[in-house]
Amino acid sequence: MPSLLLTPQERDVALDAFQTTRTGREKPSQFWKIDLESLVPNASAGGAAGEVAIESASPRAIACDLATAARDHAALFARAFRQAIEPQHKFAHLALANARLGAFIYVPADCAIDEPIVVRYRAADGESIFPYTVVLAERGARATIIERLELGAGTFACGVAEVVTEEGSDVTYASAQFAPQDARVLFTRVARPGRDARVAWASAELGAALSVSDLTITILQPGVDAKIATLFFPTGSQHVDVVSNVDHRTGDATSETLVKSAAAGRGQGRYLGNIRIAAHAQHSDASLRDDALLLSKTAHIDSVPALEIAANDVKAYHGATVGALDDESIFYMTTRGIEREAAERMIALGFFEPAIDRFPTEALREELRAALQAKVTS
Amino acid sequence: MADQGLRIAGLHASVEGNEILKGIDLAVERGKVHALMGPNGSGKSTLAFSLAGHPHYDVTAGTATLDGEDLLALAPDKRARAGLFLSFQYPAAIPGVKVPNFLYAARQAVRPGELTPAKFRALLLEKMDVLGMDPSFLGRYLNDGFSGGEKKRLEMLQMAVLAPKYAILDETDSGLDVDALQDVGDTIQALRASEEGNATGFLIITHYPRILQHITPDVVHVMIDGRIVKTGGPDLAQRIEREGYDALREETGALA
Repeated sequence: MPSLLLTPQERDVALDAFQTTRTGREKPSQFWKIDLESLVPNASAGGAAGEVAIESASPRAIACDLATAARDHAALFARAFRQAIEPQHKFAHLALANARLGAFIYVPADCAIDEPIVVRYRAADGESIFPYTVVLAERGARATIIERLELGAGTFACGVAEVVTEEGSDVTYASAQFAPQDARVLFTRVARPGRDARVAWASAELGAALSVSDLTITILQPGVDAKIATLFFPTGSQHVDVVSNVDHRTGDATSETLVKSAAAGRGQGRYLGNIRIAAHAQHSDASLRDDALLLSKTAHIDSVPALEIAANDVKAYHGATVGALDDESIFYMTTRGIEREAAERMIALGFFEPAIDRFPTEALREELRAALQAKVTS
Repeated sequence: MADQGLRIAGLHASVEGNEILKGIDLAVERGKVHALMGPNGSGKSTLAFSLAGHPHYDVTAGTATLDGEDLLALAPDKRARAGLFLSFQYPAAIPGVKVPNFLYAARQAVRPGELTPAKFRALLLEKMDVLGMDPSFLGRYLNDGFSGGEKKRLEMLQMAVLAPKYAILDETDSGLDVDALQDVGDTIQALRASEEGNATGFLIITHYPRILQHITPDVVHVMIDGRIVKTGGPDLAQRIEREGYDALREETGALA
């Protein structure tokens, strides 16, 4: 088993920070009964090893596990590791304290990689793992990373992805989670793009009993094009809790957040969409689109957009809908001979399509469609 | 056979408890074009939705049969599979559902297993060409972001691809320019003149006689206040163009 990344002293600090940081989701909700504090098993135990497998076809990029990164690429690794996460990311402290499983992706300047780099984390039944992915993209680099979780029954996964990029780079980081029904999955993903860089998160939360996802882009340089797309679909008795944060701390940057969610059965979802534009971040252009579809009377989605805009010369758009399937749309499709259930399925899948479209590779998009189709049908 | 046709007898229908249709009798044969004209609010669209099975429209009395089959007993999808098509005045936009996927699902539902996807695509492109539709339509979501005219063309494309036994066109002509009207007329004419036994019968609902310059009806009906007050030939449409509905209203004693 690789050793922990932090020294015992650093680890104590991280665990202490985890214990004392609030989740930021204390707002009471009519239906949401889960106390996020109560779900962490053996917070101090350090976690099982788990496994990581990294597929990279690029000879110029570095794609390695954390131990190798810390040992052989220490200077590069230090330019990204702990450079994007911030103190308010409660669960990142826990993942950091227990970090030993993970991956480091380094894409050198002007290196464009077409084939996605795939990082797979595996955990056996009942294990707790703390996967930590660090990405450093240099000036003008371009890469797509796909993170996959292959979790056994009853697993607990608390992970971090940190993406640090430089000027004019272009990084897409996609994660799709289809964990078993009794797993718990908590991820914090934070990006800090460089000047004129494009960075995109695409995340799908489809499995697990409980899925907590925090997607953050911190804009510190002008010219950034920041994109977040996330979809989730709690069914049965699943809970999904998603937070997105786009923090415009510098002006002349664009961000676009797209959230598509549905809930069926007794599924419960909660989404908090934060957009902050600092007082000096003039000429920011931020949009947030958040649509939720309720497919049963016992399903809930609580959707809370929060725009905090301190600058006066900005563009900020926000649109949100929560509703059931549209009767007129169903009727229209049935008048073409399509059975009602099939029409409902097509409309529900179509609802997710704009978010699916943000994911890399047709294979992954097809996998998402198949998983969503199974959920709509069940 | 006596029971062939789209046959409507003594049809009464209500919306939210208000009676809109007050006894409609109408029979459309395959290969024939019936125009149903009338002023706004006369109940033309109610008739269309009632026949298609819209859940907000209650048929309170009367019958409607399609080649002898009781339409009113069927769910909307089964009415379509029996051979009925409704071209909507305001078709729904369904984001995320691509036009060809939807059309293929509809075609497979109405005529299962008849066409391979490749042959279906060829058919689609051929019909689109007749309607002057750019192939880029195939990459778009169903009616999503479509102009009024594009929606109407897509309705006609669906009709051409499904080749129904009977088609009801609810104000398909409204909002169309002359070129588009001609394309609609050509599509109707092609289906009307299909080979023996495959021709489509039409009930063309329109407010204005304009479309009838592009497709000559066999029969013209005028509906006022939920009743068909007059039935005649193409000359009836011309008379309405000259005189408007008020003269007919007085002549037939229909309620204003």
